[in-house]
Amino acid sequence: MRRVTVVALSAALLVALAPVAFAQSKQLVDAAKKEGQLTVIALPHNWVNYGEMIQAFSAKYGIRVNELNPDGSSAEELEAIKANKDNKGPQAPDVIDVGLKFGPEAVASGLIVPYKVSTWASIPDNVKEKSGYWYGDYYGALAFEVNTDIVKNPPKDWSDLLKPEYKGKFALAGDPRISNQAFLTVVAASLANGGSLENVGPGLQFFAKLNKSGNLIPLIAVTGTVASGETPITVEWDYNALANRDTLAGNPNIQVIIPQTGVVAGVYIQAISAYAPHPSAAKLWMEFLYSDEGQLIWLKGYGHPVRYADLAKRGVIPAALAAKLPPAASYAKVLFPSLEQQTAEGKAIAEGWDRTVGADIQKK
Amino acid sequence: MKRRAWLSWLWFAIGIVYFFLPLAATFLFSLKGKKGVLSFVAYEHVFADPQFLKTFGFSLEMAVFTVAAGLLLIVPTAIWIHLKVPKAKPLIEFFTLLPFVIPPIILAFGLIRSFSKPPLALVSSPVLLVVGYVIISFPYIYRSVDAGLRAMDLRGLSEAAQSLGSGWTRLIFSVVLPNLRTALLSAVFLTFAIVIGELTLAVLLAWPAFGPYMALMGRNLAYEPAALAILSFAMTWGAIGLIQLVTKSGKDKSSGIGVGAH
Amino acid sequence: MTALDERNDPDPADKSPPDPMGHVPRAARRKEGLAWLGLLPFFVFVFLFMLLPVASIFTGSFQDASGAFTLKNFEHLFRPNILNSYLVTIRVSATTAVLGGALGFLIAYAISLGGLPRPLRSFMSTFAGVASNFAGVPLAFAFIATLGRMGLVTVLLRSFFGIDLYDKGFNLYSFWGLVFTYTYFQIPLMILIILPALDGMKKEWREASENLGASSLQYWLHVGIPVLLPSLLAALILLFGNAFGAYATAYALTGGLINLVPILIGAQIRGNVLHDANLGYTLALGMVIIMTFSIALYSWLQRISSRWVK
Repeated sequence: MRRVTVVALSAALLVALAPVAFAQSKQLVDAAKKEGQLTVIALPHNWVNYGEMIQAFSAKYGIRVNELNPDGSSAEELEAIKANKDNKGPQAPDVIDVGLKFGPEAVASGLIVPYKVSTWASIPDNVKEKSGYWYGDYYGALAFEVNTDIVKNPPKDWSDLLKPEYKGKFALAGDPRISNQAFLTVVAASLANGGSLENVGPGLQFFAKLNKSGNLIPLIAVTGTVASGETPITVEWDYNALANRDTLAGNPNIQVIIPQTGVVAGVYIQAISAYAPHPSAAKLWMEFLYSDEGQLIWLKGYGHPVRYADLAKRGVIPAALAAKLPPAASYAKVLFPSLEQQTAEGKAIAEGWDRTVGADIQKK
Repeated sequence: MKRRAWLSWLWFAIGIVYFFLPLAATFLFSLKGKKGVLSFVAYEHVFADPQFLKTFGFSLEMAVFTVAAGLLLIVPTAIWIHLKVPKAKPLIEFFTLLPFVIPPIILAFGLIRSFSKPPLALVSSPVLLVVGYVIISFPYIYRSVDAGLRAMDLRGLSEAAQSLGSGWTRLIFSVVLPNLRTALLSAVFLTFAIVIGELTLAVLLAWPAFGPYMALMGRNLAYEPAALAILSFAMTWGAIGLIQLVTKSGKDKSSGIGVGAH
Repeated sequence: MTALDERNDPDPADKSPPDPMGHVPRAARRKEGLAWLGLLPFFVFVFLFMLLPVASIFTGSFQDASGAFTLKNFEHLFRPNILNSYLVTIRVSATTAVLGGALGFLIAYAISLGGLPRPLRSFMSTFAGVASNFAGVPLAFAFIATLGRMGLVTVLLRSFFGIDLYDKGFNLYSFWGLVFTYTYFQIPLMILIILPALDGMKKEWREASENLGASSLQYWLHVGIPVLLPSLLAALILLFGNAFGAYATAYALTGGLINLVPILIGAQIRGNVLHDANLGYTLALGMVIIMTFSIALYSWLQRISSRWVK
């Protein structure tokens, strides 16, 4: 009980002091430097260019960044905070970057503390929690990632995937009962087949059809299997697919295609751990991420930073950078499943997946 | 025995084909780093990364400690059970097989939670990692040692040795251990390989080990992970081969009381 | 054959003179009690570093998300898809244990008693050490690179022999494909575990039995298998356990197709979609219970097999 009061009090204080946050930034920088270290978790270097983000932050403020579990899932990030409550060592994360769904859960479990960054006002309302506990950082849309050395005629839309020429060529980049990306893929397929953000039945049926026709392979697609041609077509966040395209550098050629219908976007959110061993460094990190500099680094990694509209309005986006993203028209029909929708969708897909796509063991 | 040898050759050959085909396929794929030609560029990338040898060295170190701690704990326990308390066998076997059904993530988080606070604040020491590795290796070490002890007539040997006036230490070091050579080597090989490749504990306890490094590479690269797999296979095999060689040279002095010892 | 009898005789109490009262004298009992003390280091280690940390498994399975006591998680265990996944996991583990055990035995025999040159034995046993842990994503990828649609063998067969494996119905991403992949680390494990037992088979027995006119089959039936049976059983339970807790290979190779309990546990504890950690703990507890039954079965088999040897 006492913890809740303390959190509420500090939240109230922060809200009261928010307008003054910008003016305190020198104080914050000094406090953070004194702490000397920041522990982040689950930030792969080529996920929206986090590699450059971490390096830039570290170079700018001289603070060492300790990176935990780059492969971790959002759930693991929360579990890591929970397990390390009493531990001020390097295993305890200071900040987390998790899927939208995990915000309310983190608040309910008392795992995060609110902090309103100085650019708070320019963050769209629909992706931030009122008191500043968590707020969106970047988003991307689900796109087809196609190995065009193997698949000369890439699919343009979901219905194309059912064509016989793609037999044994499509795989998901995760298990829809486990991975964010994978279950939202089913949601996107649902939207393209007459479903809605509330009704994912058509998506499950689509994948049942895909499985039956032999176009869907049960393998989990990774960069290696896309490159080897074993899973030449998969669906990933556009920023990941584009990063893969760049990494493979033509060996093989990769094309990233936003589907014509059924375009789903997912928002990730940032938060500070309630048990952070380096709270000032954590706040400084947040300030950096939401500064123009930080947001543009994400844009470089092909992610749409959450303050995109504000940056565009003020004309701070370099033209060359804007040109590297897929054309804005592709994102015209993009839909953002809300928190509640994601939770309901996830549940429906997890429960329906075994039945429709069949976890029946195939005897050879 | 010679006439039966052809069958042995057959099984050996089948084994070799089954084991080496997937390795060959991986190797071939790792050579495709440059489009259209076979090249070692993926290997160049791996070697250019200082983290590669650093993490391998760290895991190697951890493997040595784990083997030492594991053998120290289990060998005397196993001998004791065989000689003195056979009734304890099912119970010990239960505990040594339990690690198979404990998800490593639970073990890792459990270890962190239990050992974050003084007086048992071990969480920042590599001791906790070694301890976790020992737990994971339990089934393999115990089973190897147990197999070795079964294969020798432990009771007969110990009675013979004791009637000849030898004490406990002499018994263990001069009689039991030399005859356990094959079993101990199996235990060492298995534990070594496990520790070098282990992923979850190292990641969650935040240590710069080889397993997490390999997983990180595998995330977004295509050819380098295949090169890494081949390299780690070769290097681990080399390490194990060295262990075999080193222990062989000491073996020639061992006694011949052994049951079928080579 | 006396040496054999003694070797498989587990109970030292039999050696003491028969007591007319029919029970073990108190001195022997106290000695036995003190003998248990010798196991203290082991038990302390196990308690501190295994039982204490994972106590959360047991407490968590009786709790719901807010920490209140509930038995609901156990109710969930009996849902058809979860029960099915336990069955599938047991099936995969048992199949690979037997398959890996049989093939591993044959190869171990070949390199120890089969008359092959000694260096081949060192080669195979050191290789087995490494291969026993070659699992997870690298192993899955190695098999995909060999037998996948674009795999080495598949492509060779297609180009040189005109045989398309996949058209003929072969599919690596299936139960048997998974079993075939699992045996890659099961066989080496078997080799390493059974080698000491094979070393313990004295050549003289084989020679003696041949001199007495026994055929190969009779040798195996009356000498070979009875002697090896306890070690074979021990190896099998190890292989079973080894496969039972494995999931990385299965996940990488067959994704969500084959429902293994470890994958389900991962889905609950670290998965982003379901995330009911307490259900995950309960599933793990279920695995512990199954493992306990397996060990009980194995111990019983050991007892009756040792009686058979006598």
